[in-house]
Amino acid sequence: MFVAKVTGSLVATQKVKSMTGHKMLLVEPYRLDPDTGTGLKGTGRSLVAVDTVGAGEGEFVLIVQGSSARLTPETKPLPVDTAIIGIIDTVHVGSACVYDKEV
Amino acid sequence: MRIGNVIGTVTLNCRHPSLSGARFKLVVPQSWDNLAGTSEESMGEIVVFDELGAGIGSRIAMSEGREAAMPFYPDVKPIEAYNAAILDTLEFDTC
Amino acid sequence: MYIGRVVGHATSTVKHPSMKGCKLLLVMALQGDGRTIEGDPILVVDKLGAGKGDMVMVTSDGIGAREMLGCKNSPVRWTVLGIRDKR
Repeated sequence: MFVAKVTGSLVATQKVKSMTGHKMLLVEPYRLDPDTGTGLKGTGRSLVAVDTVGAGEGEFVLIVQGSSARLTPETKPLPVDTAIIGIIDTVHVGSACVYDKEV
Repeated sequence: MRIGNVIGTVTLNCRHPSLSGARFKLVVPQSWDNLAGTSEESMGEIVVFDELGAGIGSRIAMSEGREAAMPFYPDVKPIEAYNAAILDTLEFDTC
Repeated sequence: MYIGRVVGHATSTVKHPSMKGCKLLLVMALQGDGRTIEGDPILVVDKLGAGKGDMVMVTSDGIGAREMLGCKNSPVRWTVLGIRDKR
């Protein structure tokens, strides 16, 4: 599981039938800034994830990948390998806050 | 299970209902170079489900992939990394 | 499945109950040449009695691990499947 930022959404009219009604979002994995260690930094990678919690653009989310992405009642029947399972409020390293949704 | 160093915590209120009460830690997986102390370069942090209560600075054994969700069987939870053990000692000799 | 060399071991008091009484070996997975390291360090559950320096066969079969440990809820995936005979 890892931290990512929602960078956009994706609409496809033609898709596998089971995907009808499921929100697909574009996410960019983030990691601790290797230079400063005091903030999060984008990795430049981009993934498509199915949303289970109602996340929106600009929010930081928790991503699950692989077969575990299907371990929810919503995603069980879907041919997906990446899912958003939570909206992140804070990330702390030691006692220092490196991300706070409210700030 | 890979080895990881616990460096922080991740909190979230809005989460999939199957994860209510879950605690998440920010963990740096350890490479051979990290363990041997020849490099501090991190492969990137991952978020690990923790019900053992690992503190900052703990070294843990992480179960990853499908097995990470097995402790909850027959319930299903979307978990990809699980703290299976807090290590007391780790002795090794890589030569 | 991989061939690997046992290079150490770990101890743990606070752990998933399915691992109680099991040895946790630190294994260096190796490529076909027997020297090049494959991937990251892995902790492998052992019930065969392998020790430091032994070459072992390890498997990532979770179903096998759960059978070996007699626990349907175990998070363990890597186990020692065999110890290579010493030449």
